[in-house]
Amino acid sequence: MDNIAIEVNRLRKSFGSLTAVKGIDLQIRDGELFSLLGPNGAGKTTTINMLCCLLRPTGGTATIMGYDIVHHPQRIKEFIGVCPQETAVSERLNCYENLALAGKAHDMDKAVLKQRSDELLEIMGLTERSKEQVKRFSGGMKRRLNLIIALVHDPPILFLDEPTLGLDPQSRRAVWDYIASLKGQKTILLTTHYMEEADALSDRLAIIDEGQIVAQGSPAELKATLWDRKTMVITTEGLSAAALDALRREYPSMKVADEVVELSAPSLDLKEIVDCLHSRGVAVRSAFVKEPTLEDVFISITGKELRD
Amino acid sequence: MKFKELASRNLKEVYRDKVALGFLMGMPLAFILIFGWAFGGEMSPASIGVVQQDKSPEATAFVEVLSYVEANPPEGMPPFDLIAYGSEEAALKDLKLGKLTAFVIVPEGFGEAVEKGATVPLTLLYDENDPMAAPRAVPVVREVAVSFLGVKIPLALESRGTMVEVENEFMNFFVPGMTVFGLMILVPTMVRVMAQDKERGFLSRLLTFPFRPLDFILGYSLPFIPIIALQVAIYTGVGVLMGLRIIGNFGIAFLLFILIGLCCVGIAMIIASLVKSEAQGEPACWVFLVPLAMLSGAWFSIEMMPPILIDIVNVLPFIHALDASRQVITTGAAFTDILPHFYWLVGWAIALFAIGALVFRRSMRA
Repeated sequence: MDNIAIEVNRLRKSFGSLTAVKGIDLQIRDGELFSLLGPNGAGKTTTINMLCCLLRPTGGTATIMGYDIVHHPQRIKEFIGVCPQETAVSERLNCYENLALAGKAHDMDKAVLKQRSDELLEIMGLTERSKEQVKRFSGGMKRRLNLIIALVHDPPILFLDEPTLGLDPQSRRAVWDYIASLKGQKTILLTTHYMEEADALSDRLAIIDEGQIVAQGSPAELKATLWDRKTMVITTEGLSAAALDALRREYPSMKVADEVVELSAPSLDLKEIVDCLHSRGVAVRSAFVKEPTLEDVFISITGKELRD
Repeated sequence: MKFKELASRNLKEVYRDKVALGFLMGMPLAFILIFGWAFGGEMSPASIGVVQQDKSPEATAFVEVLSYVEANPPEGMPPFDLIAYGSEEAALKDLKLGKLTAFVIVPEGFGEAVEKGATVPLTLLYDENDPMAAPRAVPVVREVAVSFLGVKIPLALESRGTMVEVENEFMNFFVPGMTVFGLMILVPTMVRVMAQDKERGFLSRLLTFPFRPLDFILGYSLPFIPIIALQVAIYTGVGVLMGLRIIGNFGIAFLLFILIGLCCVGIAMIIASLVKSEAQGEPACWVFLVPLAMLSGAWFSIEMMPPILIDIVNVLPFIHALDASRQVITTGAAFTDILPHFYWLVGWAIALFAIGALVFRRSMRA
């Protein structure tokens, strides 16, 4: 059996009468990239803050590399890297100075720190502006620096709390690529409310809603739970009320946007649907079957949509 | 020793924030310059003391004439205020504190000399460093003596310059006050740095680093010690250019300013621990600072306040820093002379710093 890097048992956190995390259980293996996927306010950040020793749990236990988060926070802080949701950089310092603070806090050798800083700045495309005060950076550049501060001391465990929040698509892709390159080398706990991010990066993930884990597994395993549900997207021309009525009788959960119809059912017969539309004078321009997404999984479990 | 990294970061944050640094250094400096120019050269009426050592009717009559001339100055005589003293020591003390321009001693044997028509002895003590003291005081005493005696008879007016004193009373009152006020402005600056770090999640990030609580406390407070030293140097340096005269050991005054600066660091740690954002921090600071500044003695003499307020002021550390530094700077008071103030300040600095560290540490715990 693989080594367990992060183990969480019935972890709970309350703030007064509000219970943000309601007794969650997780086991994250060494070198695994595990995501917590859920809408805003689901309890993802509270969970990660407890695991980073920033919040004391109200109940339950958690260990990081065998160290208890309540009893050995100082030891844990030596081998974790945390990228918080906020852009937590020192604005009047330059990139090297920001990285030096993190590196020296972790007792890094000066030469190693310089080499590592150079590498990470190059990967994240910050080398050219690395000696400027961070306050002059764009939001995306600050976010990238925010991430590499967590990485500079080369920690074996990484907590990445919404690392791509607010990034432009190009920067997001660059961050995804880098995170993907770390898979297998580091144990990563990633929180996100972007289902594509969780789908693309995770070895396994847990879907969290209202402080509880509602599903857990690999992206493929979770999507496979919807094997009995197919979705077909049909683009039409001349869509009429009569045609819609006919389709709705067969497919009550049908969605319509302009001339595009989305039908979901355990089985879908394309010929039957096309005939139904043609007989009512509606032309079919295109049709394809859509694979289930993690959002579909979330909706099927919670009855709600993931809100961006 | 990891606090050094954090201290270095915080020092850079403050020094690179030109606006905040300008406010921190510039506001009290602007006050010194503006008020120094406005009031530094003002000639107030001379304060002349009188010590009546001879109890003869002639000596009493002489003092009464002085009082009459004070109330009805003859044409051409500069106005003066007359203050009676019971002893030469008391008058000398006030002269050294700059409260007197000069004082005249009516010695024993004065009445007898007048009666015999002999040379009348009078002693006038004034500040030899004040070029205006002798010209203002000597004519008054000579004129009164002549008026009193009616004729110009031999008058032995022994004029003795004494060791000190205040060249520019206003600046010697105002500059130590503004220095203490400038150090109080350190509070919002420090609170802003800490509150920003809290609000932007930077403090949370630091809490995921293997720093210990002492690293945080030292890392956030130590950078302000060189800033305190720089503030004191700038304020007093400009004060000297504007007419402040430092008579005593400036090292003692500097130590007193450092102590009050540490008190301010403690106050800042307490406020920063209680607020959650920069928006909360700024008003919270001024809620504390405005009353404290008014009660500090920096802006005006506390003698103008009602007794209950004076009692409160005397409990607070600021007036002790001010009184002691003014005594050292203005009268050359020795360290032993200001020891009660010094102990009071040390006590406050330790208490505020300890409470600040404790509250700050508690605020870091979830």
